[in-house]
Amino acid sequence: MLLALLLCYAGFTALCLSMPRHHDELLGRKPSARRGRGLKLFGWLMLGLSLWATVAANGWGLGLVDWFAVLMCSALALVLLMPYRPKLALVLAALSLLASPVAAWAQC
Amino acid sequence: MKEGFRQSMAWLHTWAGLVFGWLLFAIFLTGTLAYFKDETTHWMQPEIPLRPLNAEASLTLAQNYLQQRAPNASRWRIGLPSAREPGLSVSWQDTPASPGKRGKFTEKTLDAQTGAEVEPRESMGGEFFYRFHFQLQMPYPWGRWLATSAAMVMFIALITGIITHKKIFKDFFTFRPRKGQRTWLDGHNAVGVLVLPFHLMITYSSLVIFMAMVMPASILATYGNNLGAFYDEVFPETPLPERAGQPATLPPLAALMTRASEHWDGGHATRVTVTNPGDASASVQFSRASSDKITYEYGSDVTFNGVTGQLLGATADKPLPMAIAGSFYGLHIGRFAGPVLRGLYFLCGLAGTAMIGTGLVIWLGKRQLKHAKSSVMPFELRLVEVLNIVSMAGLVNAVAVFFWSNRLLPPSLDGRADWEVNAFFIAWGLSGVHALLRPGRKAWVEQLALAALLFGAVPLLNALTTSHHLGVSLAQGDLALAGFDLTCLGAGLFLTWAAWKMQRAGHSVRVKKTPRERARPIALEQGTN
Repeated sequence: MLLALLLCYAGFTALCLSMPRHHDELLGRKPSARRGRGLKLFGWLMLGLSLWATVAANGWGLGLVDWFAVLMCSALALVLLMPYRPKLALVLAALSLLASPVAAWAQC
Repeated sequence: MKEGFRQSMAWLHTWAGLVFGWLLFAIFLTGTLAYFKDETTHWMQPEIPLRPLNAEASLTLAQNYLQQRAPNASRWRIGLPSAREPGLSVSWQDTPASPGKRGKFTEKTLDAQTGAEVEPRESMGGEFFYRFHFQLQMPYPWGRWLATSAAMVMFIALITGIITHKKIFKDFFTFRPRKGQRTWLDGHNAVGVLVLPFHLMITYSSLVIFMAMVMPASILATYGNNLGAFYDEVFPETPLPERAGQPATLPPLAALMTRASEHWDGGHATRVTVTNPGDASASVQFSRASSDKITYEYGSDVTFNGVTGQLLGATADKPLPMAIAGSFYGLHIGRFAGPVLRGLYFLCGLAGTAMIGTGLVIWLGKRQLKHAKSSVMPFELRLVEVLNIVSMAGLVNAVAVFFWSNRLLPPSLDGRADWEVNAFFIAWGLSGVHALLRPGRKAWVEQLALAALLFGAVPLLNALTTSHHLGVSLAQGDLALAGFDLTCLGAGLFLTWAAWKMQRAGHSVRVKKTPRERARPIALEQGTN
């Protein structure tokens, strides 16, 4: 479940950054159209991968339940963290990405 | 036309949410606490020691104990310890003196490793929150009906809320703090939208759980007044033989349990019922633990002959519609969840509670703005304000007092478990009196501060009154006990922050708006600074 949590958090951060308003808030400028599309694609890819991670770990029944739980709680964490500690929110996303191969290795 | 539809949905959302909001807040908060019902009970009965799990050894201990204490009982019942419930519970019913009467029922708790009797303090523990969540401390069936009606309204409020919320995806990540009314609405939307799958699941499944009560038409049409026949057909039971009156030896139950587990492809038994132990007609029934799978099945049993060990019967696999209903039931109560998923369930439940709470605050905040200039608040707004304080801050205080009374009431007190519950409701009632006597914001600040103090001091209280303080529970790896203390501490810190915010918001309003605060007893709610 840790791997899915890391992927979900990173994915939601990318999706958030793909929106011009939030990109501006967090990084101080609007994203280019290409960058926006890239972030969006990357975000959805991460969310998809996290679904694979939970289903691979626990099968479809429990995997789907795990996935929804991780999905909801990671998004909530990001949204509540962003306005108070924007830097930390981004750093955590980067750390999640860095740590996810380790978590994947631990899960397999 | 379209705008008209959305407006009428907004109206329904506003008023359905207000009228049932107070009740729903209590249902959601107690339901959230009920996810940790066994852990709460463990904290409230610390006399029952946590032991490494060994179902076979525990079952053998229970069998030996019952063989000595109640060899002639008509029935034994053994509740096996689990990762969440440390105690080994045994109970038996004496053979009735004359036919048609009920024998005396005795229940004991044993140490799961030594088999020694344990005398835990009387307490309902987490079971209180679980029961209150759907029975609301009312006589059967009124509490269930009221709770289910609230669930129906919750479902309506969710759907109308989705329709009313225009920019679900555009505002998906939006939360703007320190902006008064705007912040409350952002927060309401964030906890509503981000945790929406949970809200929909929990609300819909609550209706599925009570479907036979809420929508009995199809059952009544087929079975008429003979409802017993319906339940016999839906939940068939293995017929048990009558008492033969000839003594026979009961085989070791642990060996039968291994066979039951094989029958379930490695599933776990939670309860063992032996009917007519020591008789030639003895039978042994193993009930499967609901933590084994997501689908919750009422009664999944395997029954053996209690002399020869021959398999007498087993609950058949459920047909698809019942499996689907069972999945919703299982998803709602989350018995299958391990510690991490259970924690996430808890967070989602808190988010649901917060959604209802923020909704109530927004309703009042919007209307109070209109009366900001006048010195007297209209009666209906004052009523809503008092009810908001009682239903939220008051309930949180009542929960804390419930925990405190568990540690402070003497163990020998008559009806001790009931007095814990009484303390809960007395505290809740007092918070109502306090909210009536004090101006709105002061009442909020004082009650939040009191709750912060009560919760924050729970670990200290635990350390002073028991030998299971954090140093011990963490060292022993008793995560349920340690987690309970730490969660209370966390709740205390959060409530401190909330009280401080409330105090400061009131202060800034006062400084900006009026230097003559004394003449205006009703301070402004949030939204103007």
